[in-house]
Amino acid sequence: MTTATSSILELPIKREGATHWLQSYRAMLRWQLTDMRMLLPITVVVQLLSGVGLVLGFGLLISDMTANVAVYLSTGAVVVTLVIVGVIMGPQLIAQQKAAGSYDFMWSLPVPRSSAAAAWVTLNVFIAVPGMLGALGAAIWRYDVSFDVSLMVVPAIGLTLVTGTLLGYSIGHAVSKPDITQLITQLLVFVIMGLSPISYPIENLPGWLATINEFLPFYPMANVVRDSLTNGIATDVVRSYVVLGMWALASGSIAAAVLRKRK
Amino acid sequence: MTVAMQGSAVRSGWSYWFDSYLAMVRFELINLRIFLASAMLVQVLTGAGMAYMYGFYMGDIPATAQLFIVTGIPALALVPIGLVMVPGSIMIHKIRDTYDFVWSLPVPRMTSAAATFTVFTGLALPGTIISLLLADLYYGVDLAWSWSLIPALLLTSLMSTSVGFGMAHAIPEPRFTNLLTNIVIFMAILFAPIVVPIAQFPDWWASVHRVLPFYHMAQVIRDSLSNGLVESVGTSWAVLGAWIVGAWLLAGWVVGRRK
Repeated sequence: MTTATSSILELPIKREGATHWLQSYRAMLRWQLTDMRMLLPITVVVQLLSGVGLVLGFGLLISDMTANVAVYLSTGAVVVTLVIVGVIMGPQLIAQQKAAGSYDFMWSLPVPRSSAAAAWVTLNVFIAVPGMLGALGAAIWRYDVSFDVSLMVVPAIGLTLVTGTLLGYSIGHAVSKPDITQLITQLLVFVIMGLSPISYPIENLPGWLATINEFLPFYPMANVVRDSLTNGIATDVVRSYVVLGMWALASGSIAAAVLRKRK
Repeated sequence: MTVAMQGSAVRSGWSYWFDSYLAMVRFELINLRIFLASAMLVQVLTGAGMAYMYGFYMGDIPATAQLFIVTGIPALALVPIGLVMVPGSIMIHKIRDTYDFVWSLPVPRMTSAAATFTVFTGLALPGTIISLLLADLYYGVDLAWSWSLIPALLLTSLMSTSVGFGMAHAIPEPRFTNLLTNIVIFMAILFAPIVVPIAQFPDWWASVHRVLPFYHMAQVIRDSLSNGLVESVGTSWAVLGAWIVGAWLLAGWVVGRRK
């Protein structure tokens, strides 16, 4: 600060390089935290309640609740909490900015746009963690489930989170009408919670729906996360990594294209 | 209505009340036309959609459990109309500041309430039947249809509409109503004995549900669609009746209140 303000003869700060990017990233993280300060506690509580609620609620409804079902429900709840903020809340927040007219202002901030995206991914990690732990805790406490956490948890959760967040980011930025974004996200909630075999075995679905899910990102997310938390339940994990990797690449490129676009 | 061209019409008596009632039904229908179309979609998605989803989540389901799911679906499909859409339609008035305007219309206020009950009770029925048929198609269970289905559906629909109406008018802050409706949906889908026997629930939670309306809604409808699954259905009719009376007392107090 002192060197920057001490002399007016100095040239303007160079807006490039790793240091500038890192500083921008930190600034954007602080910006988004401040921006969401009212929403953040509620979101975390809702995430926690829905994670725990899913495990306990279906526990009530399923009469012969086995440890296996509990494992599916709790690992599924982990995945749901990981993606719901990125895929659902992300686009909705962007849609709100567009509706309120503050969207262009955000883009005009003197920071690399990628640093803003990175800050958003980081924030999602912190929002997702309480819900994840809550779901796992509920399964351990209520159904005596034991988990077998392997190191693969890092790539599995990382890839799930990044893919989900970038997917939501692409939808939010690429769709210009806020109403349409709202509609897409509501449809996605339905697909994620109901029609994707995240919290139940894929064999429970009719054949055609199972086939579709092999190519959508949500089942692979659940499969790789389940593989990293348990032993011997997940099958065809390599395939899931490949499908998920392709979705990560695709949504990453769309996000990059959107980020680079100028009016 | 057209008789009163000169002077001021007499604003009392049965025919005046009835005319006002018809006018308010028309007013509600026109006011909510777009809302009503999406309401049916939401209803079928919640009703029939949940029937499929319970199947996905639960995996291999025995025949009796399937029958429980299918006969619980109509009750589940009625919840979003009465306890979400009705409060929603009133919330919109509050948010748009048209709430006081509706109260200022020159009709007896009770006709406005009666019109809301009529429109939403009627509106809820097609979506409920569609959901039931879709669920039945998926599970292929043998339903024992009986005529008591008609009063059962009307009563449960009227009950949820009345409770939603009383609740939304009594709570001044629309955001709080919104939160409450979200809790209600979460509760109905995951934590209520609508699609499963109440015996499956822990005792303390089962006793909570003997007071709340969800369980009794499912009971009276299930009784009219099956044989031997439901005991003491009279109690359920009585509890639902009590909820209606309670909701109407609340509505009467809210409606009669002046600023």
